[in-house]
Amino acid sequence: MAHHNTNIDIHDEENYDPTVWVPKAHSHGTKALWRTFWFLFFVTILDILLYFQLDPGMFRNIVFIGLGIMKAAFIVYIFMHLHYEQKVLKMTIVLPMIFVVYLIIWLLQEAHVWNTLIW
Amino acid sequence: MSSNAVNALPTWAGGKSPFRVSYGKFMMWIFLLSDAFTFSSLLVGYGAVRFSFPSAVIEEISFGQDLHEKYHDGFVETMQATGVFSESHWPSPDLVFNHFPFLHGLHLPLLFVSLMTFILIFSSVTMVLAVEAGQRMDKRSVAINMFLTILGGLAFLGCQAWEWTQFIGEGATLYSNPFGPVTFAALFFIVTGFHGFHVFSGVVINVIIFLNVLRGTYEKRGHYEMVEKTGLYWHFVDLVWVFVFTFFYLI
Repeated sequence: MAHHNTNIDIHDEENYDPTVWVPKAHSHGTKALWRTFWFLFFVTILDILLYFQLDPGMFRNIVFIGLGIMKAAFIVYIFMHLHYEQKVLKMTIVLPMIFVVYLIIWLLQEAHVWNTLIW
Repeated sequence: MSSNAVNALPTWAGGKSPFRVSYGKFMMWIFLLSDAFTFSSLLVGYGAVRFSFPSAVIEEISFGQDLHEKYHDGFVETMQATGVFSESHWPSPDLVFNHFPFLHGLHLPLLFVSLMTFILIFSSVTMVLAVEAGQRMDKRSVAINMFLTILGGLAFLGCQAWEWTQFIGEGATLYSNPFGPVTFAALFFIVTGFHGFHVFSGVVINVIIFLNVLRGTYEKRGHYEMVEKTGLYWHFVDLVWVFVFTFFYLI
């Protein structure tokens, strides 16, 4: 580590050195973590129950995708701590997902056309 | 632009950190964003190919029925003969992934993959507990929770190896599939394989970080941020599994 200087305070807010700076870590407790765990646990059980209770079809698929997005949001916001980060970091990570939405709309439209072609 | 002018500028003239995260953690976020695009492309591609095929033919088989007794290991051939499995339409996942270890021949759809999902959820919570313990500088608790996370990762990989062995043993490869279209088997191996390789790399990284925790590297450094960074990666792997589970097994 060429840049490392033993005299520097790596947590110093005023003299920010991007090569070594690390914000001072502090715990947010385990309550939200366990709550997220139980959420993931019970939504997965709900997935299994719905798989056997609902008939296969578009409605069931949309329910599964909706529950999947909810699970993903809890993992990113609580387990990955995005909830506690700066707004600018949240936007940097979440906003580019618009490209995925675009890809879904575009490719499913394409697939609808492939459906009418003979493979 | 002359290079002298660039060199004359200070490294960072904006005062405080704009994102209030370290460089390493920010780069981990950017890497995970790019990885999210890769997995999205694979999963949306899977969705598009699947959507372009007619829906699966429904075959009602009661949960737990002994297929070995009824079909004498000719289940796949019978389904092919009756047109339930054919190259012209997508197979129903519960007729393909219906096995459970030590319960040979029983029709148990979704059960094994649910077990894999719960293993990954458990290893996620132990990982996040390790991160939380690191924020309190509690070395012992970080070590215990990292160890449990590694065990969970290995258990998941073991389950996936068993599932692949089962599927390959039935004749599925990247270019053949007795259950239906070849693209079904090919995309299954590509997507779960790509995810499984992420889990494998995650386990390797976790082992390295775990050994560093035991050696006291982060105690000396004054912070456990490396545990947070590897935690981000591990939770991302869990996040991807949520969608692999949804698209390959539920839908």
